[in-house]
Amino acid sequence: MDTQSLKQYYRKHRKAIIVVLSGLFYAGGWSIGYVPGPAFDTASTAILILAAVVGGYDIAKTAYHEVKSRTLGVKTLVTLAAIGAIGIGSYWEAAAVVFLFALGSYLEGRTMRKTRNALEELLEMTPDTATVRRDGEQKEVPAREVEKGEIVIVKPGEKIPVDGEVVDGESAVNQAPVTGESAPVHKADGDEVYAGTINQEGAIEIRTTGSGTDTTLQRIIQRVEEAQEAQSPTESLIDRFAKYYTPAIIVLSIGAYAVTQNAILSLTLLVIGCPGALVIGPPVSIVSAIGNAARNGVLMKGGEHLEQAGKIDLIAFDKTGTLTKGETAVADVEGFDIDDDGVLDLAAIAEMKSEHHLGDAILNAAQNRQTPATDGGTTVDRADHESPATETRSLPEPDDFEVVAGKGVVAHHDGREIVVGNRALLDERGIDLPDEVAEYVRGREERGETAIHVVLNGTVVGAIALHDELREAAPGVVRELQDAGIETVMLTGDNERVAAAVAEEIGIDDYRAELLPEDKQDVVTEYQANGHVVAMTGDGINDAPALATADVGIAMGAAGTDTAIETADIALMADDLERIPYAVKLSKATRWNVLENVGLALVVVTMLLAGVLTSYVTLALGMLVHEASVLAVIGNGMRLLRY
Amino acid sequence: MSDTTQFRVMDFDCPTCAGTVERALSNVDGVQHVEVHYATGRVEVEHDDSIADSDTLAQTIENQGYTPQPA
Repeated sequence: MDTQSLKQYYRKHRKAIIVVLSGLFYAGGWSIGYVPGPAFDTASTAILILAAVVGGYDIAKTAYHEVKSRTLGVKTLVTLAAIGAIGIGSYWEAAAVVFLFALGSYLEGRTMRKTRNALEELLEMTPDTATVRRDGEQKEVPAREVEKGEIVIVKPGEKIPVDGEVVDGESAVNQAPVTGESAPVHKADGDEVYAGTINQEGAIEIRTTGSGTDTTLQRIIQRVEEAQEAQSPTESLIDRFAKYYTPAIIVLSIGAYAVTQNAILSLTLLVIGCPGALVIGPPVSIVSAIGNAARNGVLMKGGEHLEQAGKIDLIAFDKTGTLTKGETAVADVEGFDIDDDGVLDLAAIAEMKSEHHLGDAILNAAQNRQTPATDGGTTVDRADHESPATETRSLPEPDDFEVVAGKGVVAHHDGREIVVGNRALLDERGIDLPDEVAEYVRGREERGETAIHVVLNGTVVGAIALHDELREAAPGVVRELQDAGIETVMLTGDNERVAAAVAEEIGIDDYRAELLPEDKQDVVTEYQANGHVVAMTGDGINDAPALATADVGIAMGAAGTDTAIETADIALMADDLERIPYAVKLSKATRWNVLENVGLALVVVTMLLAGVLTSYVTLALGMLVHEASVLAVIGNGMRLLRY
Repeated sequence: MSDTTQFRVMDFDCPTCAGTVERALSNVDGVQHVEVHYATGRVEVEHDDSIADSDTLAQTIENQGYTPQPA
């Protein structure tokens, strides 16, 4: 090894080398001290002082800067203790204190580095270069220099370098770095892809929408860091406590010396008085938990929210799009005076411009149904938005139409009046509901479907049943939360009968039906008034007020929507219900972890104080226990990284 | 003029040390605002580059016994 690389090696491992040297001198000096004879005594003293100097040089240097900048830090206390110990001839104690402190700090720095690196892994997901199409040819350029609108080519097996929209090709993309979902997601024309995700199957071309620091992954990482840096209530409490604690220990130490004239005793007080484990515990737990969550596609907005989420005892779910897939489709059409297809067409004409999700489903079914109309008794297939229609039928537009909020639509076409809506709309307009239609509607609703009536010129001519499939995970997730002692409630705009049927299918504890969007917020407030700590789950857009009102707002599928990330306290990047029990359990585990750490630190400090004052604990032993307790709380906090 | 420079210090070994670095950086002429985060190791300094450039800031951190890396 030449001197150059030796120097580099030294610089890189300086702290470790110092600890090892100091330890060797310490052990050597100690052993030699046991050999009888004055020469060996002197040698032992010299080597022990050497151990203190080697191990303590860096500590003393920092201490000097601490004093210069008028802060009272641990290193000042340790330096004072070591110098004091040498001053009164306790060389062994001085060497032991310095060595143990250097070793402890070295291990502490190393483990904290691991915690800090949890995010680095995410950052490294983004490739440095991108292949762009410029002036008709392919060119490799640094990924952050790709301009918005440029076309980037990504081969199979490559990581996607920018945020963008697929314009050519199709593939399966592993989005785990952004959403935490391990199953690949199919991507084709018009689909959004994120920088840092992995293109697995086919070559795709992407029109860039963001690069460099302007990507979803970068924004997530930045938010995660902000979250880790935000102090939780427990942390601020402890910081305030520590502010008074250290000076108090110094006063106590001086007082102890004044009374007992025992220098070692007061030095020992100084050393164990550093509030190490107490101030380190909570941040390590919280940073580890937030880092773990980020790698699983869950963005926790900060220690405060994490602590709050650990306390929730009730979770309210928005039904549509959260417990269900949010892909409403026509399940059945029933004509009473006219045939089924006629009913569907009438409803589709009326709903053409409504932009309501039920209207969309009806329009979709009508446009995609097989022509010509078959016999009157057919059931329309559940229209699937994803399936490419071979050919869609075109339908005439209504002459005019009006939306009756929360009830339905009224439209005119070709001299006919078409009303499509719920029971409330029929009542409002004084339209009679024939028994056979009411019977049909009731039957459908008991299956958890939403049924709406179709009225032509004042007569009910049919009804359409719409279905929004449950997410397969919903019953399992609800059960898991119930097992964790959390009450579950479903909030929905559906009527009582539909809500009851869906609630039973999921096995959810309770439901609130016939809610207007603004009512959901009131329901949350009501639960809070009854003493619950409430979490609200939704898409973060339609239910933003309810999410904001809840003690903890959980938004699902937030990767693409900044609004949802903004509103929520916990944002699930993936549209994956199963992350909710994970997030809730992680929060609970974190809350316990913080309490464990604070408890351990307090017990250790109390015992040490008692031990020192009764002379059971010596300077070196005090330092050993102090450092061990610091490492113990860090180790405990880091368990959350692997939760 | 005010510039913002970020460093990453991976070897903070105690929360009070982060406080010391924060204090030391604040005392440098030309530094307007400092934030040091122990948990993430992130150091953010708002400073006047013509009075205190980023090398001066890095040196200040090194004087306290820590290794600043560009962020």
